Amino acid sequence: MPRLHKKKPSLERQNIGYLFVLPSGVIYLVFIIIPVIWTAVMSMTDYNLTTSSFVGLHNYATMLYDRVFQKALWNTVRYTLLTLLPSLAIGLALALLINRKFLGRGLFRAVFYMPHILSLVVASLAWNYIFSEVGILNQLIRGLGGARISWLTNPNLSMFCIVVASLWMVCGHYMILFLSGLQAIPEYLYEAASIDGANAWVKFFRVTLPMLAPTTFFVFITACINSFQVFGQVYIMTGGGPGNTTTTLAHQIYLNAFQYGKMGYASAIAVVLMVIILIITAINYRFGNGKE
Amino acid sequence: MKNASLRRLSRRRRMINKAAHLFVLIVLALVWLVPVVFVLLSSFKTDAEMTLRKFSWLPLTWNFDNYVNAFSVPGYQWSRYFGNSTYVTIISVAGSIAFNSMAGYALARLKFRFRNAIFIVFLTGMMIPPQSIILPQFLIMNGIPLLGNNNWMGQGGSGLLNSLWAIIIPQLCGAFGIFMCRQFYLSFPQSLDDAARIDGCTEFKIYSKIYLPQSTTLLATLTIVKTISVWNDFFYPLIMTTTSDKRTVQLALQVFKGANTSRWNWIMAITLVTILPTLFIFMVAQKYFVQSVASSGMKN
Repeated sequence: MPRLHKKKPSLERQNIGYLFVLPSGVIYLVFIIIPVIWTAVMSMTDYNLTTSSFVGLHNYATMLYDRVFQKALWNTVRYTLLTLLPSLAIGLALALLINRKFLGRGLFRAVFYMPHILSLVVASLAWNYIFSEVGILNQLIRGLGGARISWLTNPNLSMFCIVVASLWMVCGHYMILFLSGLQAIPEYLYEAASIDGANAWVKFFRVTLPMLAPTTFFVFITACINSFQVFGQVYIMTGGGPGNTTTTLAHQIYLNAFQYGKMGYASAIAVVLMVIILIITAINYRFGNGKE
Repeated sequence: MKNASLRRLSRRRRMINKAAHLFVLIVLALVWLVPVVFVLLSSFKTDAEMTLRKFSWLPLTWNFDNYVNAFSVPGYQWSRYFGNSTYVTIISVAGSIAFNSMAGYALARLKFRFRNAIFIVFLTGMMIPPQSIILPQFLIMNGIPLLGNNNWMGQGGSGLLNSLWAIIIPQLCGAFGIFMCRQFYLSFPQSLDDAARIDGCTEFKIYSKIYLPQSTTLLATLTIVKTISVWNDFFYPLIMTTTSDKRTVQLALQVFKGANTSRWNWIMAITLVTILPTLFIFMVAQKYFVQSVASSGMKN
């Protein structure tokens, strides 16, 4: 928005502006901007804490043959696909249920939002226990006369466990986002629809959903970005196992950099992750009507 | 008469509707609470009871000793971990909010060259996944000159690694906080600044005497959100610290679980204690959370 100002600010006042931005700016430069460039440069070396030489795109070529990397990429995509729609649907459903006036509304909202304020460690440990050999699921199964299921060490079930735990953690957050979108829909649209004889379903599909489209798009992008970064749940609940069935890109960055000492290769994976996130963000800027 | 019965019918329908709505909500809330209740109740169960064939929600005997025993496992200094977490949280929150509001103020109210470019750079940084730049951050911490036995070139020692500052400093540059502050400070009229300048206020005075006192709600919101996120973070402590005396609560919890995998009742007892601070803040300040999410999300 253009603002009228009669003359250019004096040099002195300009410098004060820089001074205000300086503390954040320095930390930003040193701990965000330089690391981004450094990661890109390091991805073209074979740096391993002691030696480093330029290897060009060799690290990227390695990915083409690295089965573990490919599994991690596929797992990350799989995790995103499995959590995205359910978390949006559940978040929207919860928001619709909460978006009324009734007794105890704040309490219900707090209950659904609560997992989001727990740490990843706490939430992951709770679900780790639930899915463990002595967890509530197995105790219920045994109580019904069944045999224990090794949820987290079964290659077919491990990702499912992580998805369930993640849904529990994020849905409340999306609920709040949808809620603020719902509350921004003007009441007169519903009144007009009522006068035209629309029932609840018609109102939902013809008023609520279209008016909520920008919010939905924003939540969709947020969910995408969060999903692609998944690390904590994997690190704590399964450690990427069994047989790399739950390892993800972020987990592979951690392992290669801090466990295997393959810092160059870890950086190359980090660049891949950054590019994916940037593409999602670019889609947001292109099609979203969100931020400036 | 027909009208009256119709009205009674519609009132009954509304009642049914209300009851169904509440019923669905209660069922969902119970599902949401199951993990928490399960954790809570398990933390009181005895070892023997943890593996019983017959499942019961309530502990057969309430074993409060778990809380004492779990915290007295040798090799762990829980008071130290809580102290570390508190220290890291207080400094990170105070520092980041001071820096964020200063930068947000300048980006919203002051005019200087490259202002919008700087803002866009900050915003872009918000999108960078922390895991993808953690390695250079680690190497930079390792190479801070003159600290941790480093020479002036940043070599020979370990810099800020394995110090609480290595956890605090990355927390100080919050693009999200800058964004929120800028949006908030944009909403004031230009005449406010002009009037203050005519009265001879310096830019810093305008910021500290006029804008800061106006932004208590914003600062409270940022404080609470940041407190929770710093307290809960385990990624930076995991990477940046090596010795046990520098652990934060979250990292210690994860380490404790790794070493006592079968003692779920103990793990859950400690887990519960670690969430008490966050839970308390959440209950006291729930409206600020909702506000922060609502105001950060969809503003143009």
